[in-house]
Amino acid sequence: MTFSIQHDQTWASDFLKRMDEDGPWANWELYQLALEAEKSLIIPEFLGLQAPRHIPHVQILPHQLEVARKVIEDMNGKGILADEVGLGKTIEAGLIMKEYMIRGLAKKILILVPASLVIQWTHELNTKFLIPAVPQKKAYVWEQCDVVVSSIDTAKRSPHRDIVLNQDYDLIIIDEAHKLKNKKTKNYEFVQHLKKKYCLLLTATPIQNRVEEVFNLVSLLKPGHLGNEEYFDEAYRSGKYNVQNEEKLKQLINKVMVRNRREDTGLEWPKRIVKTIPITLSPTERQLYESITNTRKNTTLAQQHAFSTITLQREVCSSREAVFLTLKAMSEKEGISDEARNSAINLMQEIENVDRNSKAEKALEIIQSIDDKVIIFTEYRATQLYLQWYLKQHGISSVPFRGGFKRNKKDWMTHLFKNHAKVLIATEAGGEGINLQFCQHIINYDLPWNPMRIEQRIGRVHRIGQEHDVHIYNFATENTIEEHILRLLYEKINLFENVIGDLDEILSRVGMKNIEQHIRDIFYDSDTDGEVRIKMDNLTSLLTYSDGEGDSYASEGHS
Amino acid sequence: MLQKDIHNFLERYFNSNDCELLERYESMLHVQLTIELDKLLMNRPFYWHYQQMTGAEPNPMKLKLRTEQAEDGSGDGEFIHFGSPRLHQIFQSTKQLGSYIRLYENVMQNNQSYIPLVPWLGLNIKVSYQCDRKKDLLHSIGLNLINGIMVSEFQSLLQAKPLTPKIPDYCYTMSSMIKPVSGIKRIESYIEQSILEDDPQWSIDARKRWQEDEELLDHFYQDAEELPESYHVEKQALKELYEPKVIVQIINGGMFYLSNHTMMH
Repeated sequence: MTFSIQHDQTWASDFLKRMDEDGPWANWELYQLALEAEKSLIIPEFLGLQAPRHIPHVQILPHQLEVARKVIEDMNGKGILADEVGLGKTIEAGLIMKEYMIRGLAKKILILVPASLVIQWTHELNTKFLIPAVPQKKAYVWEQCDVVVSSIDTAKRSPHRDIVLNQDYDLIIIDEAHKLKNKKTKNYEFVQHLKKKYCLLLTATPIQNRVEEVFNLVSLLKPGHLGNEEYFDEAYRSGKYNVQNEEKLKQLINKVMVRNRREDTGLEWPKRIVKTIPITLSPTERQLYESITNTRKNTTLAQQHAFSTITLQREVCSSREAVFLTLKAMSEKEGISDEARNSAINLMQEIENVDRNSKAEKALEIIQSIDDKVIIFTEYRATQLYLQWYLKQHGISSVPFRGGFKRNKKDWMTHLFKNHAKVLIATEAGGEGINLQFCQHIINYDLPWNPMRIEQRIGRVHRIGQEHDVHIYNFATENTIEEHILRLLYEKINLFENVIGDLDEILSRVGMKNIEQHIRDIFYDSDTDGEVRIKMDNLTSLLTYSDGEGDSYASEGHS
Repeated sequence: MLQKDIHNFLERYFNSNDCELLERYESMLHVQLTIELDKLLMNRPFYWHYQQMTGAEPNPMKLKLRTEQAEDGSGDGEFIHFGSPRLHQIFQSTKQLGSYIRLYENVMQNNQSYIPLVPWLGLNIKVSYQCDRKKDLLHSIGLNLINGIMVSEFQSLLQAKPLTPKIPDYCYTMSSMIKPVSGIKRIESYIEQSILEDDPQWSIDARKRWQEDEELLDHFYQDAEELPESYHVEKQALKELYEPKVIVQIINGGMFYLSNHTMMH
């Protein structure tokens, strides 16, 4: 026989007892209601999704339904969910989880997410999916609660580790799973030892250019799917690596991974309208910028300050307050030479000559011309504070926002911004899960050197739910390091127009995950603007070249 | 279940649990819970514990349930839909409250002679086919405990009859030739037989999926000198995931004493 039959005996024993004791007996109506309730909960087919009718208040998009169906029916509940940022991986995971719970196939569930997202996941599962998920706070939660959300760092640590490894999980969900690509890490080893029937790995960037990272991730989900290590080495990493092989690898990966790209979803995405706003430094600002640049020519100083010159140059382009804080910290640093200290102090004095902030003036002008809400992103806390003060002087209310805010403070600030303030001034994208799609205007007051962070900034408003075109204003201070970055790199790779998700693939494919460091090196090691330009050109052509190539290990997300 | 069906279900539920309906509209119910239902649904064991200790006047809660949401989200009361936890809690409680039953056919008696009632065992049974996927089937079986005749769709036959919890006048129950305990066994083996006659393709497919994954796993560790613990953990997990099984569970059931002229064959 190809299956076993089990009889649940609990009913019978209790019934016989009641026969002996002459009751108690139910009334006929309740008896019928019990059967009707059961009938409505019957799962009529092996295939298909029951979950949507249980959560009618959640708008589920067609591609999300398809992902859930595919993972359950084609992948036996083991899949890497790798949709591009903003397409709703959390919804997909929640949908799959709900389906297994409704079918009675998953009861004990563990959700491992970055610490900063624990509360948000818990909240979404409870409100959207009506799943009573609990954040892990006390040790007893592991054993006594069925659906637990925790950070992997907590779970893997003693005394939790042993308890967690002892649980029989039906389903394990891991968010930001690309962090598990290295099998030598404690996290990897921990997840490998978890007992799991169904497993979902969520990641926006699974496609690394290093094949062993793909191998490690897939081996966690389904050991052997890509062969064992020796075989994999032989087939894909050694000299035999070729197009035919690559196609085969891609097919194998597609069996365990779904990846939707924006253009696959059939959704209408609002446009991104990008404007570069040139800023001319005032004479005093320019003077300060030049003085800082000149410190590089002083060789003893340059050695001591190392990268600080570049930092200071960038800060001048933001606000004198930002420069001041850095200089102050430098001058107070222990073990610093007198010469360096004096030069820092001199520069601090020079700051006092700066009588205006050209960028802030421009920002004000733009904000006043827009009859709508505006988000300003800056790299510096000092600039953030200054801008808040400056806008207030001109009768414009604003709220601050930082990545380090606690969850409820983030929610509160979002609420204030939505209902009471015109401007939100943020120092970081604020992490995942903060949705500002009611706003359509973004000012990139200064630019981060990590292009992924720009994607994250824009992704806060350019996402599902955004009904209007999004306007992006990039401030570029003329004849400074900032303009180089914008003109030589970001504009050439169409950073701002490209949709989210393209960039991370490009970067990881060329092995340029630390692009920030490359940019820094270019500026630091180049003696002339011409040299900077040439090196940036080279970097750019590398990025744009790979843009045209097929995506090596990327799943196509639809077969 | 549509929203309308849910409303009807709730109204019948509270009525049959003797709860007073304080307000009743097309899509809203306001009910005064009984002490028993408060304990079942409201999840406040401490209140009832203290009430018992202090002997205070028990004060069961009122419940306001809506099956239609005002467009602006206004309107007090809990919105109930098919997925809402409250409804599932109520579903769950019906299982507790409506599991075991004994009923008699309310036979209209004209002449003065006594009428025998035949004992039937009726069971509503859920059969779940489970591997990494799952589906369910409901059976409703009645077994005549005098002659051993078994009928399917028993519940619908019952629903067409007048039934009463007290034995009607001028009626008597015949004693069973088959004991209830063996009756349950007979019905179970009948169910088992019907499962075995089913197409087993689903379980063959599941075993195939299981075997494929197990072969991959063995391949993955084939060069290991000693198989690590992660191998055994994964192997066990594959078994639990794919191993096909059928679970037979009795939803509810009981004794039904029916008049002999019932055309059940």
